[in-house]
Amino acid sequence: MRITDTIRRAGRSLKNAKARTLLTSLAIAVGAFTLTLSLAAGEGSRQYAEKIITSNIDPQALIVAKDKSLFSADAGAGGLKEYSEGATQYAGLTLKSLSQAELEKIKATKGIERVQPTYLVKAQYVEFEGSDKKFTSDITMYDSSVRAESAAGRLPPLGEQIKDDEIVVPQGFLKTIGIKNPADLIGKKVTFTLVKPAPTPSEAEINEIIAREGVAGLAKLTQGETSKETFIVRTVSKDSVTSLSASSALFISEQRAKELSEFLTKGTNDYQRYIAVTAIAKDSADPEKVKEALVKQGLTARTAKDLQGLLFTIVNLLQGIVIGFGVLALIASVFGIINTQYISVLERTQQIGLMKALGMRGKDVAKLFRYEAAWIGFLGGVIGSGIAWGLGTSLNPWITKQLSLGDGNYLLIFQPLPIALLILALVLVAVIAGYFPARKAAKLDPIEALRTE
Amino acid sequence: MVVILTVGDDLIELKQVTKTYGKKQNLFTALDNVSFTIPDGASVAILGKSGSGKSTLMHAMSGLDRPEAGEVIIDGENILQLKSKQIDKFRAHKIGFIFQSFFVQANETVSDNVSLPLEIADVSRGSRKRKIKAALESVDLLEKIGNKAKNLSGGQKQRLAVARAIVNEPQIIFADEPTGNLDSVTGAKVEDMLFGYNKKNGVTLIVVTHDPDLAAKCDMQINIKDGKIESIRDTKSAPKKKPTRTHIKVEV
Repeated sequence: MRITDTIRRAGRSLKNAKARTLLTSLAIAVGAFTLTLSLAAGEGSRQYAEKIITSNIDPQALIVAKDKSLFSADAGAGGLKEYSEGATQYAGLTLKSLSQAELEKIKATKGIERVQPTYLVKAQYVEFEGSDKKFTSDITMYDSSVRAESAAGRLPPLGEQIKDDEIVVPQGFLKTIGIKNPADLIGKKVTFTLVKPAPTPSEAEINEIIAREGVAGLAKLTQGETSKETFIVRTVSKDSVTSLSASSALFISEQRAKELSEFLTKGTNDYQRYIAVTAIAKDSADPEKVKEALVKQGLTARTAKDLQGLLFTIVNLLQGIVIGFGVLALIASVFGIINTQYISVLERTQQIGLMKALGMRGKDVAKLFRYEAAWIGFLGGVIGSGIAWGLGTSLNPWITKQLSLGDGNYLLIFQPLPIALLILALVLVAVIAGYFPARKAAKLDPIEALRTE
Repeated sequence: MVVILTVGDDLIELKQVTKTYGKKQNLFTALDNVSFTIPDGASVAILGKSGSGKSTLMHAMSGLDRPEAGEVIIDGENILQLKSKQIDKFRAHKIGFIFQSFFVQANETVSDNVSLPLEIADVSRGSRKRKIKAALESVDLLEKIGNKAKNLSGGQKQRLAVARAIVNEPQIIFADEPTGNLDSVTGAKVEDMLFGYNKKNGVTLIVVTHDPDLAAKCDMQINIKDGKIESIRDTKSAPKKKPTRTHIKVEV
């Protein structure tokens, strides 16, 4: 018997039992629906993550630090930490920092073009124009290798610094400041009050100053030095998923951050010590190789690829969970197909007997039933994937809005090839499920089958 | 390359065919040492009560069943020695079946019902249409070609079954109680068609029945009882066809 004739006959038998065919297919469709959505969501997330990383991060950039815990998941945990020489406080953490000498060593590492330390400025308090309250905040330099998204105002292109009198405020700060519309903050003044801690004078110095200027002179010496620095808000950066940079600090230009940081730390242990530096690898150098070289020096480094890997791990895990549910639904539908096909064989005992009496080969009878199962799988796959595609495509704009993914980004990306492969896989699963009923049909004795009346 | 020439006028020859069912105490002999010959183009009635073994005899001659002992020689070939694939091919190309309860596929069209043996025999799609039309024409059902079989009357269904049996131009047609489910008028019409086709095309017709009137219309009657041949009557002793047939078989 020709394959086309077998397929046609299989299709016709299914058409004669429309309700049953449709219901059995729907069981598969549930699995197909889930799997299609998870494929689309996985693809969407990966494309999105890649988009964020390639458009926001210089692929040649490495973040280099001495302390591994800067990158670890529990970096935010406080608690009791062992004191170590040459440590710097950051966000309530004590982290081992890099010295100027180590910075030079990093600079000298093969493949590195330039090194940019991350400057931290610890202001006593921060004031915003239009608010009479005082705030405290981390202040750090604007990282030109990472591009944030702006809620208001504009950010310079990747690789360019902001001007020395400009500041970038994260959107999350607005609520605390008491401003609703991000645009209202643009062009406003932000003032830092910096207090340089007074050096602890030695006994000889105390004696000398009292001798020279009296008690008033001593008071002045131990009072420290206060400085006020004013910046104009250039941009309010967005707290979206796209923004990978620390969105919990105020950003000023590299030059100013360096000046202020050094002003505050001069004469202290923290002078010219950095918790992290950004190293830019030469265009010809592989960031991964540079990373290896740095790790050999006892440092930790994170490349753009690492960041991507981190995001992908999460995406893959979530996708795996959803796929698991889809596969469970499929397993349930496999039993549905087996059951339906067994009933079909029983119902059509006479027909099978007749076909075998007329000389149809047992394997052709089996094929007929396998093709029926294949049709069911195909139908279920098309229905499930079709609904998932239609629903996903129509819901995409809404999802984008709800998750604030940014215009033109979609969570669900449907690709024809994986879906076609999925449907093919479902057809295969259905054929495998139809194996036992098909075998039963093939083994029917025509004499027995035709005796049934 | 072997060339075998078979010369003779007997189409079917059974030699000491024995078929048993069950084992030991439950052993039941359905066919007991049955031997006879049927000439090509004859119409033969196999007569007997139910349980006499007449259906088993038909199954043995058509390759549906395999007797343990003896030889079933059809067209010069012992079909008991064929492999199952070859027996299926033999049935698809040389045998047509008509059953008491029609076994037409109710949900399929008349055309698709008749098409089944052609599909099984791998007849090319181009010649199928012509063959289907010719078969339906000869049973007077051509105007129903697109109808569903379930919309046909009992007599029409059996005529459809006749069309299905003759569509691939078989050498032998087996009809198992072809008129058993029909009233006498429609039954007579089906009988006329079968015998008419038998005479016109020289096809060997073997009718299994317990109806003596139907049996009387056949050239030859084989009476069977308890698995044994009781009597063979040749009412029209002269062979209907040219007395000699020459088969030229080319085996490569």
